[in-house]
Amino acid sequence: MTSMAWARVWPKWQRLLHAGLALTTVAALVTYQGGRLHEWAGYAALALVLLRLALGFAGPTPARFTAFVRAPMVTWDYARAVWKGREARYLSHNPLGAWMVVVVLSLGAGAAATGALFVTDRFWGEAWLIAAHALLAWPLGLLIPLHIAGVIHASRRHRENLVGAMWWHGGKRAESSDSARSPPEA
Amino acid sequence: MKNRIQGLLASMAIAVCTSVSATGLATCDSGPKLGWQPIEKLEKQLSERRWTVRRVKEDGGCYEVYAIDDKGQRVEAYFHPVTLAPVPTKPR
Repeated sequence: MTSMAWARVWPKWQRLLHAGLALTTVAALVTYQGGRLHEWAGYAALALVLLRLALGFAGPTPARFTAFVRAPMVTWDYARAVWKGREARYLSHNPLGAWMVVVVLSLGAGAAATGALFVTDRFWGEAWLIAAHALLAWPLGLLIPLHIAGVIHASRRHRENLVGAMWWHGGKRAESSDSARSPPEA
Repeated sequence: MKNRIQGLLASMAIAVCTSVSATGLATCDSGPKLGWQPIEKLEKQLSERRWTVRRVKEDGGCYEVYAIDDKGQRVEAYFHPVTLAPVPTKPR
């Protein structure tokens, strides 16, 4: 066994943001028929997702989209490696996980924004707006279980607890064989 | 590995398909549409109550109305298409 370094991959603000987005998104999906809780969950999710998008473009380097989102072909090769059961380990998001981040944030932003517009007096009852809201929001009901399945799969493949890393301590072991590891912050 | 991933994706697809069901807030036992009152009559009745009707659609055999009511509140209300009486909606 080689000596193992420990890297703080998800700082506390990122874990809190993730938890907030997870809870507000699930709350909004469960209360899909509308009502006060649905609306407030949506407003909170909109604020959090806009904050995450802003930090993804102008935040700390490891949290920027450019730090972990890979080109489509790299992602495709990674997906094929997963299929064959021999994908590399990434210290930050793996390429599929990174695209999950991008897609979930985009859909979340679109769903929350169309929902917020729908409950204004100006747009109340607009058929096209509620249709757009449903088309943006319902895929999240499929992608969230897929995200959880991906986390469980990657945790088992690399014998580590990614749920603990994202929800609790924020740390992962750093290995010299990790793909594209971003250096732990000094 | 392939089989596990395939099985997982298939079971998720089934779960999604079966969970998509009726989403309305009320249902009406309103019979064939021949016996329904026209939407225009409901709209007229509501505008007499100083509602601003934004949209009327069918849902669960009822007329579902999006409107701004006489107090300026946004409302989503259900009406029976035969009697045009208000139908109580499920709490949410």
